[in-house]
Amino acid sequence: MNNTAMSNAWHHSRRGRGHRHKEQDRPNRERAVEQKAEDSVPRGACMTMCPAFELRQREAQNRLHRFEMLAGTERDRLPCADVSRAVKEYSRPAAGKDSTRASDLRPPSVLLKTVCYLVDDIAASSTFQPWTEVYSFVSDRLRSVRQDMIIQRVSGPDCVAVLEKSVRFLLYASYRLCGQPLQYYDPRINDTHLQESLSWLLESYRDGKHRHQEEFQALSLLYNLGSTHALQHVLELPERIRSSPAVQLALAVSRAHSERNPVRLLRLSQRLDFIQVCAVHRHLLPCRRDLLLLYSHGHSSRNCRYPLQRLARLLSLKDPLAAELCRVCGVSVSGEWVSFSKSSFTEAPSGDLQCRRTHEPVDDEQWNCPAGSVIHGCA
Amino acid sequence: MAHITLNQYLQQVLEAIDNRDGPFCAEMLSFKHPHVANPRLQLSSPEEKCQQLLEPPYDEMVAAHLRCTFTVSNHDFVEAYKCQTVVVQSFLRAFQAHKEENWALPIMFAVTLDLRIFANNAEQQLQGKGKGNVGDMLEKAADQLMSCFRVCANDNRTGIDDSKRWGMLFLINQLFKIYFKINKLHLCKPLIRAIESSSMKDEYSTAQRVTYRYYVGRKAMFDSDFKPAEECLSFSFTHCHRSCQRNKRLILIYLLPVKMLLGHMPSHQLLKKYDLMQFADVTKAVREGNLLLLNEALVKHETFFIRCGIFLILEKLKIITYRNLFKKVYHLLRTHQLPLDAFLVSLRMMKVEDVDIDEVQCILANLIYMGHIKGYISHQHQKLVVSKQNPFPPLSSVS
Repeated sequence: MNNTAMSNAWHHSRRGRGHRHKEQDRPNRERAVEQKAEDSVPRGACMTMCPAFELRQREAQNRLHRFEMLAGTERDRLPCADVSRAVKEYSRPAAGKDSTRASDLRPPSVLLKTVCYLVDDIAASSTFQPWTEVYSFVSDRLRSVRQDMIIQRVSGPDCVAVLEKSVRFLLYASYRLCGQPLQYYDPRINDTHLQESLSWLLESYRDGKHRHQEEFQALSLLYNLGSTHALQHVLELPERIRSSPAVQLALAVSRAHSERNPVRLLRLSQRLDFIQVCAVHRHLLPCRRDLLLLYSHGHSSRNCRYPLQRLARLLSLKDPLAAELCRVCGVSVSGEWVSFSKSSFTEAPSGDLQCRRTHEPVDDEQWNCPAGSVIHGCA
Repeated sequence: MAHITLNQYLQQVLEAIDNRDGPFCAEMLSFKHPHVANPRLQLSSPEEKCQQLLEPPYDEMVAAHLRCTFTVSNHDFVEAYKCQTVVVQSFLRAFQAHKEENWALPIMFAVTLDLRIFANNAEQQLQGKGKGNVGDMLEKAADQLMSCFRVCANDNRTGIDDSKRWGMLFLINQLFKIYFKINKLHLCKPLIRAIESSSMKDEYSTAQRVTYRYYVGRKAMFDSDFKPAEECLSFSFTHCHRSCQRNKRLILIYLLPVKMLLGHMPSHQLLKKYDLMQFADVTKAVREGNLLLLNEALVKHETFFIRCGIFLILEKLKIITYRNLFKKVYHLLRTHQLPLDAFLVSLRMMKVEDVDIDEVQCILANLIYMGHIKGYISHQHQKLVVSKQNPFPPLSSVS
């Protein structure tokens, strides 16, 4: 038989068989569909921290951030962009806007480099002041990094590394900027970003092994102190992670909180490292108030007095600050002595004591902890 | 059933619809019924045949059901879920057109139950492949169930015997199961409100009411409302049919911690009867004020307690254990001016090493605040001064 005839016959028979592929070839079809779905996931091709298109546009419209300007041109009518320091900004997704152009998306390797730049060269640097502006810039650019990751459905070690640094930065910021005026720092917005990043990070930990998992599970529990959901999550972690020192300490703090033992909680908090304190600090002032509430009821007696110094130690505050907290909560202080009375404690304090003022630990040691080492904590 | 032809099947369905035979029609559409194993009915495209014999939307509903049996035979639960969605949607169209009649309620029960089960299976299948977010399919199923719920709830002009409102509790129980699974308990609240405000709430079948109270009780536990939790779970337990040992045990798992928090310890007999010996050590520890045993018991059966979601509640028993221990100290010393050191010693005897005098004061202050002890602490004299009358009120009267 000559080749042409055979190949013709072959073509015919293939055509005829088309309709039979329905059920038998289901697994093949599924794989083909999956492949097609994978191909439709956008892949970034922008190898710089800021896509060229955006850079030109923002430069022309005078929308560069101070930290992105070429040195010496800041005061010009139209400052020049410094390509090595410009970073893609966050932009809200909108109908009609194509956020999936490869030239505008940064691949995971570039995203990681971007985050390291933001942390090392901007957040940790002491040359950029005020830090509220640093925070505003870095948190926005980190948000854009996360956006690129979502669009490209990045997962795995790169994703985890980016999220870990973001979480440390946001935790540090929540501590350092605590009490700043709302226009410079809004704790609720920071909290939203932090919770998003944390839950994404914890979800990513489900697959594979991750070096810093214990640390971040502990940080998540501390940040969400009192949340049954967060606690239940930790209890369901594998034994290996649950028994790590970081998680055990976080669990002990959590237990002290749920057993309503503020003395124990504050005592355990002394053992936390700096970033852990950043995570838990917003719960400490309410905890101190709770101590005063419990003691107001437990020590309620006209004839009895409690030494201020000892109370200050329990509250882990300096004496004058402890006295002020008492006054704010309706607990009467007279010289070296505190008098507790259940009727005088007030739940709605008049003239609030700002959390910020309680940040200073009694021994001042870590107050000036440099940002870089904190945010980079783990490589 | 395993041998009937497609034609025979469709004829039976048609007859059931014409005769308004809800229960039979439900069986013909339920995956509990053996007809789903019949290969003659497992078809990937039965639409034409269905359209020949049945009126819309029944034709679509039955066709989707048959497609579903086909996909289930291939173990493709994701597809099965999609088919079942069509079944429920077409059913709902038919149901809404039934004016002033509720004969189709059994069908609704059958198809919605299968919907939830397939959603569960589909999610498990996707998780096995490493895809899909937990809860996505269940949430979609919940949306469908809510659509059915609305049709039932809005039927308020029909007479009580023909009202579709009789379907509400069943759907609510299905929704509870989903919300508990996806951990969105706050969505239960509007449903609870809907039933509590209904005049029919005590007229539903006992089985449905038992299930309802079980979930409401569990939700109350989660919200730390222990008295209402105890009422609901007790109702559930006593009204649960004797033959449903598995369900009774399930209810007891949640009823026990609540009762213990309110000061009622279960008997050894009860625990043995329902195979819940995990609680035996916990009970003993709390009763004796033995913190060491309590901690040991919680650790020993940790996995079980965590899986059931009661570990955190059992930890709350610690404060009750402290109270029982300190009450013993009070009885031993027979004075109403108790040195704080005595409590510290009692804790040390229970091998609680890392507590100091300040923490003891805090624990006592907490007990006083909660009303478990009537008295006050004098730091200067390092004493707990208790009331001469009833300094340790019974647990059931507190909280």
